Amino acid sequence: MSNTSEPITDLDRPQRKALRWWRQASRAAVLVAVIAMLLWDTATPWSVLPVQLSPLVVVSTWLTTRAWSWFVMPTLLLVVGLAVRQRWFCRWICPAGLCADQATWLGRRLGRRRRTWPAIGHRVAVLTLAGACIGYPLLLWLDPLALLSGAFTLTAAPHATSTWMYVIGIVGVLLLSLIWPHSWCGSVCPLGGFQDAVYGASCLAQVAFQQRSRQQSRLARPLRGFRRRTMLAGIVGIVWATATLKLRKRAAKPLRPPGSVDEARFTGLCIRCGNCTRACPTQILAPDCGEHAIASLLTPVVSFEHSYCLETCNQCTLVCPTGAIRSVAIQDKGQTSMGVPVVDMDICLLGDDRDCSICRNHCPYEAIRLVFSEVEYTLTPVVDLNCCPGCGACQVACPTTPTKAIVVYPQL
Amino acid sequence: MNDELSRRDWLRTLGASGVAAGLGNLAARTAVAQNPGESSGFQSSIINASEIQANRASPSLVEGQVMQPARALPILHRTDVLVVGGGPAGVCAAIAARRAGADVTLVERYGHFGGLWTGGLVLLVIGHIVKGGQQVCQGIGEEIMRRLDKLDGAIVNRRPGVAPTVDAEAVKYLMVEMIEEAGVKVYLHCWGVDAIVTGNQVQGAVFESKSGRQAIVSKVVVDATGDGDIFAMAGAEYERRSHNVGLVSRIANLDRVDTSHNTAGTEPRHLGNITPVPGVNWVNMHGPEVDGLDVEVLTRMEMNHRKFIWRNIQRTRSIPGYEQVYLTETAPQLGVRITRAVKGVNTITLQDLKAGTTYPDVIGVGGAAGAEHGPWQIPYGALVPAATENVLAAGRCVSAEMRMADLVRLIPNCFVTGHAAGVGAAVAVRDGCTPRDVDVAEVQKILRAHEAYLG
Repeated sequence: MSNTSEPITDLDRPQRKALRWWRQASRAAVLVAVIAMLLWDTATPWSVLPVQLSPLVVVSTWLTTRAWSWFVMPTLLLVVGLAVRQRWFCRWICPAGLCADQATWLGRRLGRRRRTWPAIGHRVAVLTLAGACIGYPLLLWLDPLALLSGAFTLTAAPHATSTWMYVIGIVGVLLLSLIWPHSWCGSVCPLGGFQDAVYGASCLAQVAFQQRSRQQSRLARPLRGFRRRTMLAGIVGIVWATATLKLRKRAAKPLRPPGSVDEARFTGLCIRCGNCTRACPTQILAPDCGEHAIASLLTPVVSFEHSYCLETCNQCTLVCPTGAIRSVAIQDKGQTSMGVPVVDMDICLLGDDRDCSICRNHCPYEAIRLVFSEVEYTLTPVVDLNCCPGCGACQVACPTTPTKAIVVYPQL
Repeated sequence: MNDELSRRDWLRTLGASGVAAGLGNLAARTAVAQNPGESSGFQSSIINASEIQANRASPSLVEGQVMQPARALPILHRTDVLVVGGGPAGVCAAIAARRAGADVTLVERYGHFGGLWTGGLVLLVIGHIVKGGQQVCQGIGEEIMRRLDKLDGAIVNRRPGVAPTVDAEAVKYLMVEMIEEAGVKVYLHCWGVDAIVTGNQVQGAVFESKSGRQAIVSKVVVDATGDGDIFAMAGAEYERRSHNVGLVSRIANLDRVDTSHNTAGTEPRHLGNITPVPGVNWVNMHGPEVDGLDVEVLTRMEMNHRKFIWRNIQRTRSIPGYEQVYLTETAPQLGVRITRAVKGVNTITLQDLKAGTTYPDVIGVGGAAGAEHGPWQIPYGALVPAATENVLAAGRCVSAEMRMADLVRLIPNCFVTGHAAGVGAAVAVRDGCTPRDVDVAEVQKILRAHEAYLG
């Protein structure tokens, strides 16, 4: 066991150089692959892979949803590797790390020096995992692969100012690394922290197994304060997640993509990777730029301003890497409620005896009937909620301006 | 037995008079014209019992069933293009066919032109524009609107991107003027009841009028009945639909409403929208969704709606400030929105509208009520029944899926399909082919020459 965890310093200079080169090459290859996957076709289930590369995301979402997907198998193998080799993922795979390293290199060239920060990343990872255990992976959206992935949402809708919000994450990572070289990877990154946690746990197991005194062991350094920090972060995570879930129960809900989990958990499970926003062919999804609760910031919100949720599409439900949006078969879309249309008869043309049946004619699910009252002699649109998923087709088609007479509201 | 007898009688009458006209009262009218002196200054004549008996072809009750004797129908007229129905589509079709060089006959069941536009008091013209405000209804439809502009008090709200409202009487007058200018042969008070069909070839139509049952033989029939009565009788496949059937009315003295003392807080309902006549509103009504081809239903609608309109005007008048408002008229014609849609060679669908489908045989571009849609092309194939020859559908009964019915039936879209059907029929007559086989490029050329907009 001890052989495998030999420090790299044991190698001689040319060997170290070669190893460093191989690592860079490996991470560059992953970066290229990730970019290719994000740019190639936004509407395939393969879009989940760049984010599901992150063991933290995979483990946290599994703890939260307990839903199994074969896509996560390779990532779980990575976790086993992490138990053996410290920060193995950072060195060989992490494409975000490669970018951060370049910023670090530039920062050093500009004369910036590293500050020693406490290992925030480890605490973030542990409290996220603790939160995940009770259904709310608190800071999972800080995962570097989610941040990297999110930045590519720009390519889908460069004209929409809201998608620029997604870029803030990766820009933040690069700026941190530039101003305080290596600070992101070394101290802040929750994925790095997760690897520390796994390695730490593995060391604890080894110590227990080998019955050695901790002071004597080479494993002593990574374990200094490990248990205390982990315990504390775990407790904070559980308390925080419980409080959040409690508070979010009553929070006003924005319109969410079809198949979204309940609003309380959605903001936790959603890692703001932008996959759904990129996949949406009608571009009705946009990140929440603070219109709703703070917990909802940058999560996908549906807007029926220009188009509606096509009856022939389930793309966003196939590309969510965390299960915040569960997959919905196209034939089940009619039963997957996003919201409820409400008619305002003060605005509706029918309220003024005008001839209009546009909402009825445009409903893909034939859920709207125009009901005539023999008493009032008025015609009123009535929505059959049993077959209305709240796709917004009626709202988009409604001819009244500036306010639509039929508006889809989120189900409360 | 009975049949044979009546036919022989009728032939004998025909031989005796030597006039190629026929039954009962028509023969009587001929008699009046020939012998005016016999009736001492009054234009009248006595039809004696033997004459009546000789011309009888009435059905009789045979073993509980009403049997119609077979008989030859008098041919009222022979023409190239027969347009049945004098609504917005029929009038445009008749004028267009005449301008394209055909001999045209227009038959209308009421005493005026304009159909539901005038007789139905649907005075608001919606459907001529698309998203962005572009006006897609041009051609004869736009010509009608421009001529209404020149008439005093005929039209209001005639601005780009806005739905204008017309005066029904002005439209009735203008259409008479335009039909006469075009040189169209007209029969009013003549209700198209059947098609003359051999095999799947339509060769004219049969009409009921005060002159009895008569036939008009034609090379092509344009079915602008709205209900598609002619193609349905000819055996063409169609879709039968229910829609809201209402009764429009006009109320007056709205300029004398004084709400300054209204303390009751009750709001008047169904006050309608403005017309070119000051203080007069037209009041739309939806009515229940029923089958507009069922006479029992139509009767019930007419009576119920009449009661409601009266009740509502009484209610309005009881509101302080509205005492002087009164009901000027209810529409002479019940507001039947959609009944039949022919199954055409091509069908207009909402999907095609959304996709902006273009057709090589485009004959017009449809608009929307509130400009909520982009332009949508109307193919010639939507006017041509799938398997029946020599008949073209025009107006609300063209081939369109139910989701499109509410766009297809709009007045400007009826102008467009009517205009195209008229030209199509005239080209078919000119080239001696069926409307199905006409050179659509030629139809498009003539439509463009008529200033129609084809996208």
